[in-house]
Amino acid sequence: MCFTQNFSQYLVIGLANGFLYALIALGYTLVYGVLQLINFAHSEVFMSGGFAGYFVLQAVVGKQPHGVMSVVMIVLGIAAGALGGGLVAFLLERVAYRPLRRRKAPKLAFLISAIGASYFLYNLAGKEFGRTSLSVPYIFNGSNSGIAFTIFGAQVQTIYVIWAVAAIVLLVSLDRVVAKTKLGKGIRAVAEDAETASLMGVNIDRVISQAFVLGGLLGGAAGFLFGLNFGVVYTMGFTPALKAFTAAVLGGIGNLRGAMLGGLVLGVAESLPLSCVNPAWQDVIAFGILIVVLLFRPMGLLGERLGRSA
Amino acid sequence: MQNRLLRKLAVPAVAVAVSALSLGATAATAAASAPTYTIAYEGPLSGGNAQLGLNMKFAVQLAINQANAGRTFGKLPFQLKFLPSDDQGSATQSPTAAQQVIGDSSVMAVVGPAFSGATKAAEPLYAQAHLATVSPSATAPELAQHGWRNFFRVVADDNAQGPADATFAVKTLKAKTIFSIDDGSAYASGLATAFDNAAKKMGAKVTHQTALGTTQCQAGTGNVQQYSAVATTVKDSKAPVTFYAGYYCDFALLAKSLRAAGYKGTLMSDDGSLDPHYVSEAGAKVANGTFISCACADLSKSAAAAPFAKQFEAIAHFPVGTYSAEAYDATNTIISVMKQLGPKGINRASIVNALHHVTYKGLTKVVHFQANGNIAGTAVYIYHVVKGKIVELGLAP
Repeated sequence: MCFTQNFSQYLVIGLANGFLYALIALGYTLVYGVLQLINFAHSEVFMSGGFAGYFVLQAVVGKQPHGVMSVVMIVLGIAAGALGGGLVAFLLERVAYRPLRRRKAPKLAFLISAIGASYFLYNLAGKEFGRTSLSVPYIFNGSNSGIAFTIFGAQVQTIYVIWAVAAIVLLVSLDRVVAKTKLGKGIRAVAEDAETASLMGVNIDRVISQAFVLGGLLGGAAGFLFGLNFGVVYTMGFTPALKAFTAAVLGGIGNLRGAMLGGLVLGVAESLPLSCVNPAWQDVIAFGILIVVLLFRPMGLLGERLGRSA
Repeated sequence: MQNRLLRKLAVPAVAVAVSALSLGATAATAAASAPTYTIAYEGPLSGGNAQLGLNMKFAVQLAINQANAGRTFGKLPFQLKFLPSDDQGSATQSPTAAQQVIGDSSVMAVVGPAFSGATKAAEPLYAQAHLATVSPSATAPELAQHGWRNFFRVVADDNAQGPADATFAVKTLKAKTIFSIDDGSAYASGLATAFDNAAKKMGAKVTHQTALGTTQCQAGTGNVQQYSAVATTVKDSKAPVTFYAGYYCDFALLAKSLRAAGYKGTLMSDDGSLDPHYVSEAGAKVANGTFISCACADLSKSAAAAPFAKQFEAIAHFPVGTYSAEAYDATNTIISVMKQLGPKGINRASIVNALHHVTYKGLTKVVHFQANGNIAGTAVYIYHVVKGKIVELGLAP
């Protein structure tokens, strides 16, 4: 039967994609947690990370690196992507959100502002960096997509290992930051009740900015990890970010662990049916699952609320 | 902008003047008595697709200059003038551009329109005016099905490509099973259907999937990650040949995923993939061995075409591009018909009639039209990626 044949291979592919979705989804969830707003320009934060990682690697990678140097380059690329994403997210909050918040604009105005910022950023990138896809330099043996090992008959590409390791490290770090640090306490307090938090001496503007930057760091890192395999181009953010937004809703928007779980579930839900059906059905099935889940759990798999669960 | 445009237009004008001067006194006296006819060209000369249009425009200009100088057909009993008309490649601009051409009573035939949409919009007007149009580049199959007697094209339509590709896969590559994938666009799904049907008719087993073009390539709404899963399915099918109908960017991503998954079969694609970017984006290691088809010929290695390329660059100030040679052939086909008719026989309707019987050996192929205006023969060329370069192998079987 088609579903069981090569089950492990499709599962591995789905999980690998799911880790990327999870990283991006966290950006949506963090911002939603503190602002109850969907940051529709997050796709461009993701793209900025891709370009930042590309340009840094382009500058430092001469001959193809090996062994330890490969790992150094990957870490460097992730750092560059994260910084690029964090910076763009920071500016975005300052330019597109804060002025509106100061003037107590209605929620719809934020939405339009975010969409405008998104258009501005990706068209700017298209104009500055060209309209065709740029390949990130190969930084480990052969290509960026060789086979690392085989498990239960599934071939695991090196890139999948990198995605999984990087995502797990970043997701666990974020979880710790939000749960244990003062910064995290601030974010949770604002998510729980912004007014009370401000009465208790929490600087709301700063917390919101920090939530944007944290989400931007992860989104930017994801942009680099994505570009490593698929190349970077100004339109790269559109579909992955839309899927990640879906993942965030699936897991329970505003819930960090929910976003992680939602990403993995969506990745697998997209991949597994492809053993049986035409890939044109991929989105139909994935979004069908989303609707069914929301019918039974309207708040998502783990429920809303950044404040409580983190 | 204005100034630049003027300068652009001034260059060919100077070229005409120079070639006229070089003819000397004999031509000048002949021109006094000889009638003057105009050949028009309709295509995009401004806007996003201007480059494609200019590739053709200067080729038409060159053919006319050479004919006037007596270099292609010997001394002609008439003089030719050139009228370029800008339709921006758009179906909405095209009728206006056509009307300008039709309104000039000295225009005897038109090279173009360049784009399929523009052709569809303008052709009823040209048909009513009995004005022959010979397109170097409009490939939509339906254009030949409207019964326009004045419609001709020197390229094969999209329907010719699918069966030609199928013949190549089944007969030349000897594939008994084929995995065929399209990107969901109107162009690609039409092509893939033609491919599948022809391959099945020749006894091959075809598995077909649609993997939507991705936003990564600005061609659709699909997501890039799908290609890993598609590659797994293709590998499982053990098909020795995979045919992709779509464009180079998505094809490069698919090819990379296929090789990453360990698929060893032969890759094939269509003219949408005939672009050096396919090789640069997939990497030479992945791209090598890929077969690509196109209704267009590569003239870079043809000795007969070398002078054409040189003279083209002299008046255009950029090298020959896609469909330049086809536009040159279209123009020369028209001139050959006019020469045959002579000044007494030349009028719009007689040129339409004569084009139905013409046989002219051009740079890209022997031009001979079917009754519906399509070029005779398939005229599909197969290309092969060798050592990171796309080279032409010749006409498809």
